[in-house]
Amino acid sequence: MATASCKSLEDSETARESEEETEIPKDFEPGASSESILISIDLYEEVENSPGSVYEDVSYRRRKSTICELERSAGKRVLAEEQVETSKSFDDKSQDGQLKAEIGHDESIRIKNSPNVEPIRIEMESIQMSSDEEKHEIIETAEDIHNPEWKQHSKHIFILSEAGKPIYSRFGSEDKLVTLMGVMQALVSIVQDNGDVIRSIHAGDHKFVFLVRLPLILVAVANTNASAPQLVVQLNCVYNLILSVLTSTQLCSIFEQRRNYDLRRLLGGAEKFLDNLVDTMDSDPSFLLVAVRCLPLTSAIRDTISQSIVQYCSKVKNVVFAILVAKNQLVTIVRMKKYSLHPSDLHLVMNLVNSSDSFKAAESWTPICLPKFDSSGFLHAHVSYLDDNCPACLLLLTVDKNLFFTLQECRRKIVERLHRYNCLEAINASLESEGYSVSEVGLPDLRHFIYKSKSAAQFTEPRLEAPYVSNEDQSNLFGLYQYLHHRMYNSARPLKILFYVGQKEIMLSWHMAGFELYAAFEPMVTKFTAVNTMNKLVRWIKKEEDRLFIMNAPTI
Amino acid sequence: MLVGDSGVGKTCVLVRYKDGAFLSGAFISTVGIDFRNKVVPLDDAKVKLQIWDTAGQERFRSVTHAYYRDAHALLLLYDVTSKNSFDNTRAWLGEISEYAHDDVVIMLIGNKADMKEERQVKYEDGERLAAEYEVAFMETSAKSGMNVELAFQAVARELKYRKMRNPDDPKFSVTEYVKHESQKNASGCCS
Repeated sequence: MATASCKSLEDSETARESEEETEIPKDFEPGASSESILISIDLYEEVENSPGSVYEDVSYRRRKSTICELERSAGKRVLAEEQVETSKSFDDKSQDGQLKAEIGHDESIRIKNSPNVEPIRIEMESIQMSSDEEKHEIIETAEDIHNPEWKQHSKHIFILSEAGKPIYSRFGSEDKLVTLMGVMQALVSIVQDNGDVIRSIHAGDHKFVFLVRLPLILVAVANTNASAPQLVVQLNCVYNLILSVLTSTQLCSIFEQRRNYDLRRLLGGAEKFLDNLVDTMDSDPSFLLVAVRCLPLTSAIRDTISQSIVQYCSKVKNVVFAILVAKNQLVTIVRMKKYSLHPSDLHLVMNLVNSSDSFKAAESWTPICLPKFDSSGFLHAHVSYLDDNCPACLLLLTVDKNLFFTLQECRRKIVERLHRYNCLEAINASLESEGYSVSEVGLPDLRHFIYKSKSAAQFTEPRLEAPYVSNEDQSNLFGLYQYLHHRMYNSARPLKILFYVGQKEIMLSWHMAGFELYAAFEPMVTKFTAVNTMNKLVRWIKKEEDRLFIMNAPTI
Repeated sequence: MLVGDSGVGKTCVLVRYKDGAFLSGAFISTVGIDFRNKVVPLDDAKVKLQIWDTAGQERFRSVTHAYYRDAHALLLLYDVTSKNSFDNTRAWLGEISEYAHDDVVIMLIGNKADMKEERQVKYEDGERLAAEYEVAFMETSAKSGMNVELAFQAVARELKYRKMRNPDDPKFSVTEYVKHESQKNASGCCS
């Protein structure tokens, strides 16, 4: 696989790396602790190996469902529920080959403006008339495929069923896109007929990325900096969100009964979760890195918070996870021994909290499925904000759906103790300062960075400051990070270190055994200075790790 | 416990009752079940209402079912500007009889009564349905606040009556009380 040129490049890189080794040990990993609160994974490995069909997934999970196991261990009668789904053979095509259709620009235009345009319009009119009752939907979404604004959006996300029924579109109303979704379904099934799976179509700046997770098909169309594998990761997140609302068990059984079921009926009220998730992924490195951002706090305060949760949750049977989040940042997780949380499950929890205002007004009790934990069943979450004046939200997750009042009492005691030790003030103070400034690091050429501790699945970054003030500049920077990340993980030629001269800044990324570091520098910085600065930066992070990362993993 | 289709205004009615405000603007849909407390002074006693506000969407039915049997009173809401939500009340009543206690207090409420132009369900239709199922009925508006207080007051009174029941007390009927009180309000308006 390695060509001569590739080899020499790698050689020169290892040479440079060995220079650095005098300073940084090979397994150096600021932010790592002996026991991690989160499961760390290699995301691309996972994407490649995940099953193409949820059917297979279910039969596998049912036998060893984590929730069943928990219920059993609690001495509860396991309901003789849904019989084990028989494994379907839909997935047999997903592994044995991939098709990456490279077609020209004019080809893509043919897809968009195919001869089907006439029938599209006719159908759309009839749909518009029939769906009068959903008037609010029509008012707020006047966009359709003939609307130039609709075409201008830089990233579209579509979800459709195996039968080609529209389920979700990021922009415009699904009803009006019914024919477009039909085309997508046709593309998937044509390739499927040849015993293959469609992955992506590249046309000019546009990427059409497909994720087939039967009974659903997810499609991303984007002309952003995100690479095709990165878009697949995003589609996977969207798919997991659907599972978190429905569970794989429910999703399969519905489509087994009726292949042409309109899934929007069951997803009612979940559109805003999808919208919020898809928007967040455009600017939040959490999804790119499959890692979690922590709220900077002194370790003493964080320990007090964790201990308060442990103290009361340990008295309640069946609490699996207690999670405290504040403005998309993790304050702490307390977990049941043996069980760990996957970062992408935590992303879904944070997305739930962020996209719903209804939690602010009252204590809520809601079912949520964490697909990586157990996609076959629901956990039940007691959700409440700590205080009217504190945007930190506490989630107590359990397998027992009758535990509301117990958890309500448990939560009351936790909040009381947090008040007593002034933890809410500490959380608010950290939130108000909006993290830290890159100037605190004391390295003048450094503009911004993202550091991920691999084993902890946590990352840290300073707040965005000048020159990254406008939305455009910020999203350009994020695009550069996406580009670096893609180059580093390129499966044909993975890199250890990359020095990239951009239009307005110099970018450097560096992968070691324990960490990933991406940084933006002043445009005139030399390679030597940049590499040196990276070394100092890693040292600084090591010095600050107690504050920036969650270093211990309390259990109940 | 408040039940009914998604978007009929369950949360809005509750927020109007609890905080005296109207939630305008974006549609805040409830996720799962929300829990609120309110203490209501009634005559010489205090009644603590634990109010469950449920999500109307189909996918939350299994969660709400589990809480029906603990509920002492159910407020079933529909939207007077949506025929569909009114038609669904029969299905809701079916669910209630299946999952809730037999002696649960049920009140049928037609919400959004302020929207005269868009009204699709007549007052009489609601009244007739309520009579058929022998449940109390009234129309409310979370926006103007009309009858919201009364709805919860009536339920609180009924619950208090049941709790403190003395065989000698005159029989309390929530239906009669609602009728009586709304007439009093109406005549108050005219004078």
